[in-house]
Amino acid sequence: MNKVLTVARREYLYNLRRPAFLFAVFGVPLFTLVLWVVIFALTASSEDNARQLGQVGYVDRSGVLANPVYPEEAADLFVPYSDETAARQALDDKTIGAYFVVPDNYLPTGEITIYSYSGIPEALNDTIDTLMVQNISRQVGANVSLERIQDPVDMTVHVVDSGRDLTEANIPALILMPLAFALLFMMSSGVTSGFLMNGVVEEKTNRIMEILITSITPMQMLLGKVIGLGLLGLTQMVVWGAGIVLLITFGQTVPALKGIVVPTDLMLVFFVYFVLSYFLLSSLMAGIGAVVGSEQESRQISSIVSLLWVLPFFFFASFLSDPNGTVPLILTLVPFTAPTTVLMRMGFAAVPTWQLVLSLAILLVTAIVTVWASARLFRWGLLRYGKRISLRDLLRVIRRSPEADISVAHSAQEAAR
Amino acid sequence: MQPDTAICVEHVSKSYGSFRAVSDLSFEVYRGEIFAMLGPNGSGKTTTMRMILDILKPDTGTITVLGGPLTDATKDKIGYLPEERGLYRNVRVLEMMEYLGTLKGLSTAEARRRSQAMLERLDLAEHAKKKVNELSKGMQQKIQFAVTVLHDPELIIIDEPFSGLDPVNTLALKDLLLEFRQKGGTVVMSTHQMWQVEEMADRLLMIHQGQQKLYGAVDAIRQQYALHAIVVEGQGDWKTLPGVERVELTENGRKAALLHLAPQTTTDEVLAAIALNKNMSIERFELAVPSLNDIFIRVVEDER
Repeated sequence: MNKVLTVARREYLYNLRRPAFLFAVFGVPLFTLVLWVVIFALTASSEDNARQLGQVGYVDRSGVLANPVYPEEAADLFVPYSDETAARQALDDKTIGAYFVVPDNYLPTGEITIYSYSGIPEALNDTIDTLMVQNISRQVGANVSLERIQDPVDMTVHVVDSGRDLTEANIPALILMPLAFALLFMMSSGVTSGFLMNGVVEEKTNRIMEILITSITPMQMLLGKVIGLGLLGLTQMVVWGAGIVLLITFGQTVPALKGIVVPTDLMLVFFVYFVLSYFLLSSLMAGIGAVVGSEQESRQISSIVSLLWVLPFFFFASFLSDPNGTVPLILTLVPFTAPTTVLMRMGFAAVPTWQLVLSLAILLVTAIVTVWASARLFRWGLLRYGKRISLRDLLRVIRRSPEADISVAHSAQEAAR
Repeated sequence: MQPDTAICVEHVSKSYGSFRAVSDLSFEVYRGEIFAMLGPNGSGKTTTMRMILDILKPDTGTITVLGGPLTDATKDKIGYLPEERGLYRNVRVLEMMEYLGTLKGLSTAEARRRSQAMLERLDLAEHAKKKVNELSKGMQQKIQFAVTVLHDPELIIIDEPFSGLDPVNTLALKDLLLEFRQKGGTVVMSTHQMWQVEEMADRLLMIHQGQQKLYGAVDAIRQQYALHAIVVEGQGDWKTLPGVERVELTENGRKAALLHLAPQTTTDEVLAAIALNKNMSIERFELAVPSLNDIFIRVVEDER
């Protein structure tokens, strides 16, 4: 046990200092944050830019703007013209930056043509929308508020068996948080299990493996690596989690972040799935690392393996329309897709307890079998250098004694000398 | 098995598919000796070492190491220097030595202390903070050896320890090896450099095509291959000596000669005859014992 901890400690400390890890922990979120800020800044500035072109003229043939009410923020923006010639003249004189024509068939078609010597800022579009809605609403009737026309439905979906109310205000929390967790999970376990596999491939190509396995057993080495890198993955999550909490706490003033709460039940499920699924993924990667011949080869195979974890994202639509249907059920029970699926499903509807229990049980058993099989492959693969291996070989090794089969690998190596 | 036996290999065979790498091999390594394993490339030396270390399992036969089958506890008492060197490339020297030391059961502090002492000893202290791949091949090899003996093992198994080393580093490594033996350690080494074996090894095992060819004390084996002949250097007409059947001049133009003796003649008689003969004087007189190199070549060629 001591040696397992020695290996775990080394793997943790060694990989903690790796630039690739530091980038994954700090670089990626920082980059995302900067991207957000830039996007916010751009959108914010374009809102002001409704006036970028100066005043905007219009010609109304529909009568909607016969007795116009202007939006508060744009009271002096719009200038009416009686016909297009006058408006065109004003545009050419640069009195106005653009003008738009509301044709007489506007009400049935909704078509408006805008003329300008440059592009039209998005914000101006929005302001014209508001102008039209405000003026149409006045014709509908006195007891219809403008707000109802702009936003006719404010839906609350009550998910009966989860006791959660999906109001529009907390939709980000209930849909985006599981998605965010699923992504977080992917990235974190992807990074750490990738490290694990590369480490094994490196130790194999360095031949240091021969020294390692005359010091410790393959099982000790495998467990040590899985634990050490698992803790590394948790570290990554803690850092990110702390960052998210900070962001939400300080971000309550930002409208986009308002109302986001981190659901505790989701966190718990997340944690359990993370641990089990991480064991599965990392021991799988370790097995691959021990068996393949080169780093390049290991990367190809590992990218195929990680696809299994991403698979549920492709079924996002079916989660939305039928969260308790067959496809989500299958994806919940298959151990590779279970963590991401469950996290995403929890956002839309309660996952029945029997499904959760069954899915966790299957995941647990698969993880244990994988760790065991990987330890066997580990021992067998260690002395195979630069040779391709067939799936049939692998199954035979897992089923039978691994030592018996080292020989086959070895003969080619020895004969080559 | 005697109590002073470090390794006992009994009737061990190992095949790789249809290739028989080791065939019914039996030998013992005694505690405190330097035991050499000789043999041409592909003769089964590395396979035998790997079986002793439990990296490979023998098809048949048993191996006991330090009094029993290889266990985790035994692994801590063994050091292994593989033929294809194994070090972490991208890790600082001291850190790597510490890690490999702790894997052998040392505490972190102890592993660090010993690593530093060992680096000082090998004149590599200034490189402790460097990464392994920044060091020369000779330095890497010295570090590899340092890692092998860091945890004060009772037994070290070293595969071609001198290959690729310059004479200065070879000497340094040899000193370390002899010192290790001095302290009671047991060494099993394979090498192609016969003169190293002649100088250092107590006993040897020579295998060819997986089979035992020679096994025993180095001196005894050389005696066994000794010709019934004497090498002499000096003045005199050696042919006139009684009991000398044939004189063969050796060593390219130097004065040494190889005297082949008649079956019943002893070397003492020849020496006495020379001493009594006033026309003869000798500067050198010794049994014609072949070098291990000669024996090695003879054994391998007999096979062909």
